[in-house]
Amino acid sequence: MPKKWLLLLLFIIISLSLMTYQSNRKYFLPLESLSNVLNIFHEIKISLKDSFTSPFKRMLLKEQENKRLKEELSGLLKEQQKWQETFLENKKLRELLALKEKEQRYVTAARVIARTVEQWSNTFILDKGLSDGIAKDMIAVTDKGLVGKISGASNSYSHLLLLSDINFSAAARLQTSRAEGIISGTGFRKCRLKYVPYEEEVRKGDIVITSGLDLLFPPGIPIGFVSEVNKKNIGLFQEIEVIPFADNSKIEFVAIIKKG
Amino acid sequence: MKYLLWAVMLFFTLIVQGSISIFDITPNLTAVLACYAGIREREVKGMFFGSFIGIVEDSISGAFLGPNLLSKGLIGYFSSLMYTRFFIWTPLLGAISIFILTLTDGLIVFLSKSLFANIPVSIGAGVLIIIMQSLFNAPLGIFLRPKKEQ
Repeated sequence: MPKKWLLLLLFIIISLSLMTYQSNRKYFLPLESLSNVLNIFHEIKISLKDSFTSPFKRMLLKEQENKRLKEELSGLLKEQQKWQETFLENKKLRELLALKEKEQRYVTAARVIARTVEQWSNTFILDKGLSDGIAKDMIAVTDKGLVGKISGASNSYSHLLLLSDINFSAAARLQTSRAEGIISGTGFRKCRLKYVPYEEEVRKGDIVITSGLDLLFPPGIPIGFVSEVNKKNIGLFQEIEVIPFADNSKIEFVAIIKKG
Repeated sequence: MKYLLWAVMLFFTLIVQGSISIFDITPNLTAVLACYAGIREREVKGMFFGSFIGIVEDSISGAFLGPNLLSKGLIGYFSSLMYTRFFIWTPLLGAISIFILTLTDGLIVFLSKSLFANIPVSIGAGVLIIIMQSLFNAPLGIFLRPKKEQ
């Protein structure tokens, strides 16, 4: 057998042995600390992006404003257009502030600086960590509803496990019928509400909220709405698909609250 | 110097990969880098560069070490083998080979995660993600020429 093929075979055997060894033990991550360095660069990238794009955004806004000026003569509308981006950002921050005043468990607000590099884990990287009061298992919400929970934190950054991740689960209930179940991620966009008894009547559009029975998520946080109900002829439970209220592709800021 | 350049390329690839998402799908740019390593550095070096890329990706993704190590190492090896043994590089063949290698990479990672941890997404969504990632990567194959073709 040529030397190259022998090396390849050896490489495959080592990789498979490594995975088998870790499958029942603690994960072995030799370069984990590298992610902190990468996160610093993500933060620099975000600030660079902001400084580069803000003049263009302003130019674009002014162009829109000029067009609008020709069409409308309202000074108030002109001002609104001119500062639309700031207005929208303020709106988002105001919503977070309102959430802070409403939510006694509020810890801090954090910005999403990146996704994890791998498609298979639905995780965001936040620009705040242990030094800002964030700890593992804290909950991330927006004004729309639940986003996920903190799966790990370093001093300056934290990892947010999204609602759609396969490893995410929370006790939930349907807002109208009060039927209880477990919401868990499917790995891609949608979630699944499990263990809802067959005889419960569930309709498309029903709202799903946290029930608080897991002692982790406070009760009453909106999660999403039912998009599909599949009542199989056999079995004890229904198959319910849920679309989360918080759209992962549009989340920029999240509020972190303590666990229930 | 060459190794430093590879490290810098990997670093920037990871930053770009962590910043882009198309239809909620993260492109698999590290697979392109592993293929490039194989195309430029021949089989064994390609495998080592690829497995290094995989180790880094596994480590920073917070999951267990192995799936990307195995997949990137293998595609690093086979991307080189493709042009040294079987084909003569053309832009179209470059695009097709990157498509197939990204597909292989995605399948290996998906199967490894399913076998040694838990299934990361439903099979339907997994297939969709892998095909979309391969389609995103395919056009990049036009630019990844082997040394002798330049």
